[in-house]
Amino acid sequence: MATQTQTPLLGEHTRLNLRGGWQQYWLASLRLLVGWWFLHAGLSKLLADGLNYTYGPIYLQGMTDTALGGIPVWMGNNLAWLIKPGVPLFETLIGLAIMVGLLTRLAAFGGVFFMTLFWVGNAGFGHGLVNGDLMGLLLFLTVGILGAGRYFGLDALVEKTGFVENHPRLRYLLG
Amino acid sequence: MTLNDMNPIDKWAMFVSTGLMFLGIVVLGFLELLDGTPHGAAPITNDAGDVIATPLVDPTIRTGLVIAGLVVLLLLGVYRLMVPVTGPEETPTAQTAD
Repeated sequence: MATQTQTPLLGEHTRLNLRGGWQQYWLASLRLLVGWWFLHAGLSKLLADGLNYTYGPIYLQGMTDTALGGIPVWMGNNLAWLIKPGVPLFETLIGLAIMVGLLTRLAAFGGVFFMTLFWVGNAGFGHGLVNGDLMGLLLFLTVGILGAGRYFGLDALVEKTGFVENHPRLRYLLG
Repeated sequence: MTLNDMNPIDKWAMFVSTGLMFLGIVVLGFLELLDGTPHGAAPITNDAGDVIATPLVDPTIRTGLVIAGLVVLLLLGVYRLMVPVTGPEETPTAQTAD
């Protein structure tokens, strides 16, 4: 059995030919593992610090001389009110959304945003640019581009609703 | 459909984004290897913490190229939210082929 799934981010005519069985199952498994990674990170912060993750702004304030320019430092200085509760909360929500496959692309975008900051901020480039942080970033990118929520995820059901069919642009947040 | 039949905007975004990422990671990484120590992208320091060797290309430039590639993908995603693909190709399908 073969299954073809459109990947809109890559274009209207690009179809990923996923043979039923291993490929779909593995994509769903990958989604679960990546989701658990962030869910665990978020929950552990929530349990330790609640909604007051003070290290978040400090981490951003230390991101000087990066490719992101003054953006992280500005965020650390001016958005601490959002970052302290936001880091554990958004990590938890991103992880949960990806695990259950709901709003998968939106959640994957959030994961890419987080991992870009971690990749640039940690700057563990001793063995080259390709490190664990970049791998995590690429995993989120892969989950989003392939629309992994359509495989054993809730997005598969949501996309069949009349509301989404009447608003096709929502598929760029779902999938 | 093949790559040649893709929408020009999607195709442009696909090639530019991945091209920037490949340039930052692979091409400049290969030049870094050829240039000798350090083979990674970070400066090497001695036990006293003094920098004794620096990479050929500043990692800020290389990470900047990758981030630029990600931004291109983000812009495409935003554009597709505003201008979704229309027609029968928009609907995800699950077809039994064999």
